[in-house]
Amino acid sequence: MNRLAEQLAANDMSEFGLHNNNDSAAIAGPSFQLAAGSNPAAFAHHFIDAKSEKDSLIKIAHGTTTLAFKFKDGVIVATDSRATAGNVIASQTVKKVIEINPYLLGTMAGGAADCSFWERVLGMECRLYELRNKKRISVAAASKMLANLVYRYKGMGLSMGTMVAGWDEKGPGLYYVDSEGQRIANDLFSVGSGSTYAYGILDSHYRYDMEVEEALDVARRAIYHATHRDAYSGGIVRMYWVRETGWEAFPLEDVGQLYYRYHPEIQLTNSAESPLTVAPLA
Amino acid sequence: MARRYDSRTTIFSPEGRLYQVEYAMEAISHAGTVIGVLSKDGIVLAAERQATSNLLEQSLDNEKIYEMNDNVVAGVAGHAADANTLINQSRAIAQRYLLKYDSPMPVEQLVRRLCDMKQGYTQYGGLRPFGVSFLCAGWDSTFGFQLYQSDPAGNYSSWKAACIGENYSNAQSILKQEYKDEEKEEAGPNVRTVGSQMTMDDALKLTCQVLSKTIDTAKLSSKKLEFATITLKAGKPFIHVYTSTEIDEVLKKYESVIKPADSQ
Amino acid sequence: MDAQFAIAGRDFVISVTDKGVMSSILKMKKNQDKTCQLSSHTFMSVSGEPGDTSNFSEYIQGNVKLYSVRNSQDLSPSETANFIRGELADALRSRSPSHVNLLVAGYDKGAGEAALYWIDYLSAMAKVPFASHGYCGYFLYAVMDREYTPDITLDGAKALVKKCFEVLKTRFVIDFADYTIKVVDRDGTRELRQDEL
Repeated sequence: MNRLAEQLAANDMSEFGLHNNNDSAAIAGPSFQLAAGSNPAAFAHHFIDAKSEKDSLIKIAHGTTTLAFKFKDGVIVATDSRATAGNVIASQTVKKVIEINPYLLGTMAGGAADCSFWERVLGMECRLYELRNKKRISVAAASKMLANLVYRYKGMGLSMGTMVAGWDEKGPGLYYVDSEGQRIANDLFSVGSGSTYAYGILDSHYRYDMEVEEALDVARRAIYHATHRDAYSGGIVRMYWVRETGWEAFPLEDVGQLYYRYHPEIQLTNSAESPLTVAPLA
Repeated sequence: MARRYDSRTTIFSPEGRLYQVEYAMEAISHAGTVIGVLSKDGIVLAAERQATSNLLEQSLDNEKIYEMNDNVVAGVAGHAADANTLINQSRAIAQRYLLKYDSPMPVEQLVRRLCDMKQGYTQYGGLRPFGVSFLCAGWDSTFGFQLYQSDPAGNYSSWKAACIGENYSNAQSILKQEYKDEEKEEAGPNVRTVGSQMTMDDALKLTCQVLSKTIDTAKLSSKKLEFATITLKAGKPFIHVYTSTEIDEVLKKYESVIKPADSQ
Repeated sequence: MDAQFAIAGRDFVISVTDKGVMSSILKMKKNQDKTCQLSSHTFMSVSGEPGDTSNFSEYIQGNVKLYSVRNSQDLSPSETANFIRGELADALRSRSPSHVNLLVAGYDKGAGEAALYWIDYLSAMAKVPFASHGYCGYFLYAVMDREYTPDITLDGAKALVKKCFEVLKTRFVIDFADYTIKVVDRDGTRELRQDEL
């Protein structure tokens, strides 16, 4: 049993007829601010990986689809925007791309707080590197720094699967770094619960010598198809292109609208038997 | 002038000297002589025990020659107590190396670690330098037999024949004269040739000869001497520390080169 | 789920490591070199916990190199293996144990012979004629037991490696597709392509 859940259960104030401990002066013993809801233990249980035997491991749901790939004109980074807490959609407008500096991007999968915190730390380290060495840090070095940072906390509950993408003296750079301390270089990655779906599209349509438009299209479709099948991915498609001049972002696209763009044959009708019908092709 | 700069080891004098370190070396040049002679199949170490009183119990242990490791034997000149701690540390270092790599510590590495310890005491404040010099005789598979000399400053150097302690300069000039050197061969960058024509017999003989000229005594005897050799036995280094009987036998064998004291 | 094995003859070692990086059911990369060069005549192949593998091998690589620089002489394969075992054992009892399985292969120039050491994540070490880690051992040990002779030649070992590939291809649930094949002998270390076997 998870130690944190036990603690929360032990502190369930409902026994005392209290729903929170703002007036805890009335009772003796240690106390702390409780989460919202009538049963905090049950509420917290959503965030706990029940399969994990390790104590005090809070696992934020991993639901995400992120991807990045190198191609002849740079790196494309694309993500969905859904955040889930247990079976609840917490947000449809999350920004899962972290702009470390004008030449470096990080993606977010796993714990949102872990990713944004450590990638901001990385941003700080990269800036210090620039000030000290009078040149921009390489993608290899930046990703290694992140891997070393999180490796120090291995086994202590960090949860992140991130891609570091950028442009340096050697050209486009792309690394996968996770909270296990793993760091690998490759031309193509996808991370998150929707990654298997994204890989399906990427592996069948990706080519290194694509033009930018085609590359963006492959990325968009990969995210779209992942959100279509993975319940923990959805919202909007967010895309970036990293090239010699740095990264640039593209307009956001709602996956709901992409559905109708990619399937023009499907139309909503008001029929009682089937609200969704496939219109005969013209 | 020296007064102002010699009370602390960490401070250079205006002439750029470290007086405490020099004093330590001076102390050693009054200590019992230690001689080392390299031959093509081993090394001889011999040491003089100084100033024994008749009332003093003959120590069973050696005072001047110590086994540092299975492949290194060392002779010391200077403060015996200082030497003791360094020997202890060196033995521990060699054992830790064996534990870590399952292989005997190369001789020069051990000497270097020993000298690192000595060097530290010439630099950090409030400390007195070790008043000891060592002659380390050893063997390793890379460089074969090696003889190293070290001083209180932490310097070390490799020799074919060397002497530390009282009368060392006399001894060294005899060694220089009598040592049979091999003609130099061209060798690879990492191969040091021993370059000696000496046999172990020659080395023992030369050692006795030098001892007789440097030690101020009526008759050389095992009472004032210690002897050790390192050779190879079945491909492995073998250290032999002589018993007093064995020392007397050696002295007898090379009687011819040992000049009677009165003839000097 | 890594495939990792090696065969030692009298004067060579041939080592095989798969190139896949897997994460649960996903193959993330198919051309990762899981070997780590320690000196001109010594290298090791590494498998185990992601993160630990690269961290531990970089640590070992750094320290073995440091020894060479400090002492103007390389550690022998035996000294290297003993050093690695010791570091792994120290890590095991520390707050940050490394979960890595290793095969250390090398050619001892002084002794004029090749050496292969098997080290597991619990720091057990053995000098062995052939070795494997992980599931592939369940298939390959029988083959190597059957085919190995102490006087095996490099060509013989190459043929044996090919046999091992066949067994893995026919019976093992994972298709490893590509392998890093390395040979170390008196001339140093070199990599072979699969079609060079």
